[in-house]
Amino acid sequence: MATADLSPLERKYARLGIVLIGPTVLVFCAVIVYPLISAIYLSLFSIYTPTLEGEWVGLSNYAELLAKGEFWSSLWTNIIWTVGTLTLQILFGVGMALILHQNMIFRSLARSLILFPYFVSTVVAVLVWRWLFNDLYGILNHFVMWTGASDMPVDWLGSMPNALLSVILVGAWKYFPFVVIATLARLQTIPDSLYEAAKIDGAGPIARFFDVTLPQLRDVLVVIIMLRAIWDFKEFDLIYLLTGGGPVTSTQTIPLLVYKEAFALNQMGMASAYAVVMMALMLVFMILYIRRTQENEL
Amino acid sequence: MANNTSNSQKQTRGTSRRAVLGGMAATGAVLAAPARLWAQDATLRWWSPQASPAQLAAYQTQIGLFEAANPGVKVAFEKTSDEGYQPQLAAAFASGEVPNIVTHLPSFAVSDYWSNGLLEAFNEVIEAVGPEKYYRGANDIYEIDRGVYAGTGIGNSAANMLWIRKDLMEKAGIEKIPETWDELRSAAQKMQGGGIYGAPLPYAKNSMTTLTIIGFIHLAGGQVFTPDLQVALDSDETRNALEFYKSMREFCPPGATNYSWGESLTAFVSGATATGIYTGRVLINVNDQNPAIADYVTCATYPRISADVAPWTFNDFPSVFIPKAAGNMDATKKFAASLYDGAGYIQQLHAAPGHVLPVLKTVAEDPAYLDNPIIQKYTPEVDLMSSSAAAGHNLGWESPEHKPNVKAGAIVGSGVLAEMVQRIVLNDEDTTKVINETSTAIEEIMLS
Repeated sequence: MATADLSPLERKYARLGIVLIGPTVLVFCAVIVYPLISAIYLSLFSIYTPTLEGEWVGLSNYAELLAKGEFWSSLWTNIIWTVGTLTLQILFGVGMALILHQNMIFRSLARSLILFPYFVSTVVAVLVWRWLFNDLYGILNHFVMWTGASDMPVDWLGSMPNALLSVILVGAWKYFPFVVIATLARLQTIPDSLYEAAKIDGAGPIARFFDVTLPQLRDVLVVIIMLRAIWDFKEFDLIYLLTGGGPVTSTQTIPLLVYKEAFALNQMGMASAYAVVMMALMLVFMILYIRRTQENEL
Repeated sequence: MANNTSNSQKQTRGTSRRAVLGGMAATGAVLAAPARLWAQDATLRWWSPQASPAQLAAYQTQIGLFEAANPGVKVAFEKTSDEGYQPQLAAAFASGEVPNIVTHLPSFAVSDYWSNGLLEAFNEVIEAVGPEKYYRGANDIYEIDRGVYAGTGIGNSAANMLWIRKDLMEKAGIEKIPETWDELRSAAQKMQGGGIYGAPLPYAKNSMTTLTIIGFIHLAGGQVFTPDLQVALDSDETRNALEFYKSMREFCPPGATNYSWGESLTAFVSGATATGIYTGRVLINVNDQNPAIADYVTCATYPRISADVAPWTFNDFPSVFIPKAAGNMDATKKFAASLYDGAGYIQQLHAAPGHVLPVLKTVAEDPAYLDNPIIQKYTPEVDLMSSSAAAGHNLGWESPEHKPNVKAGAIVGSGVLAEMVQRIVLNDEDTTKVINETSTAIEEIMLS
């Protein structure tokens, strides 16, 4: 409908709409659009971080990073970390949600306590885990030697593949409560009549899980997987504090590479290029997530 | 002979420095500036990675004395960290929200920031402290541009001293403290057992591993750079250092692959290792946390490949510098100078005796400084650390012949040398290939 066809009242409402949406657009531009454009802009320069001064280099940062083995190895580690920790989060999360959905003593308390890893600060969580992993005083090594599984303490964080496995495990421990919360909420809305019908049809517990529970959880699990994949892919603090990316670069993901370029090497332009590439990769997850949520709305 | 030459050079430079500093007219202005010359109710921000409870108490004393003498000026202390100062300062410089004064960072951090025009010249503060009070040559490392100082030292440190348990030596039948690598390996082997490891050398991807391997390269008779700052890593000395470092892995705790300064210190202090590699902080920590071994610990310069190679002490030259963008510059400079005032400075040094050693010879000889139970109990150790630190160097200044390396901070921060250690020791990669690639990476950093 053309603007000329609008009545004065409709034009007034349209102007009011623009005024009302204006602050949101401004905030969106300030916190999303501006940093995004800045990152892309910075990636076209060679910039010394502390002064933010540098020279135009065009796309050479991108050409350089794509030619670097370090980028590809970090991307591969990033994928292993994301897939590994996300798989464990889903398995632990769904399993724990099923347990907490049962009638059991202290259920409310258990549901509260299970959220603890998610709420605790990452720095605190990592400090606790580093003590657990400690070679000289860590309880894990005491247990390993007490059981006779090894005569010597295990180097959990300083050698491969232990380091990557440890990081994946700690990541799963830290973030599986999110899966528990979301899954539990969905479980509570599944009609009992579905289970009763399945029982009448002779379905056992396992069959009921695969034929009733899992299909009902599918939508929420897809959303959880999309969101957690995005969040895990860009995880920085947990990995950095646990291993610093080592040994060598075995647990170095792209966010750690961005940090190294920006603050250890003071190359903000190159760091921005890495960040832009990372954002492009995450865009795949975001598009899938948006499409999925749009499908649900239809 | 080499030492005489070196001293002669230092003497020449020292005289020149005094001449330059003596001519600085602004000094009087700093000292004579009335307390209220600067903006009223100014707050100065002080950053340091050294912040143990005793050190914080000492800082509060110094702050209290300064605030009492300068009404209207407040000082706020903020902690940074040895591993984390780079991003914090990078963000601070980039945003313009810089601290007024930064202390205890290694000298190579100062040279990096100075070379990028981020720091205020320190001549006025040095003159206010009194250049004649410093040990001779103490400020040479900060004279990156002739006659202008980028900062100054707040102390010295002997970061790679060999700490050793005499009781374990006796038990293992070891008669003298190891002086060579063969002796060290043999001693570590003999003392290892019963839950005690030989050494807490770091094999992690961090600055401690980087700084330690630099020391080992020098203890093999090598160097990372030539005096004119060409990369000189590809040498037999580097190969020998890496070979020895790799051979020591079996005498270190399994978790040494993730050790930094704190873990390495704790391993020795707790009694988990027979030897240690650290500064004099060992002394206060042993006495506070594990007094049962306090009477048995002693230190020596770290063993080298053979007695023909001179000891090489890593001194990170704990520094003081002022960002150029800091506000209240007059008050800031006055506060910087006040950090060296007798009682406050001595309390700061006593917070961890032997850890940060005095950079002023007048303080080192001060009875008030010497009147400390730790310093008195371990006088030979403190004296050895003092003399070793005074002759010490780091990657920013590998020898008296070397030019200041303003890229040293970036090289340490990049972790390429720690990665070199990990690739050879943990991954068992080809030494020549790894050294070549590390050299290339360092050359790229030098060109960046």
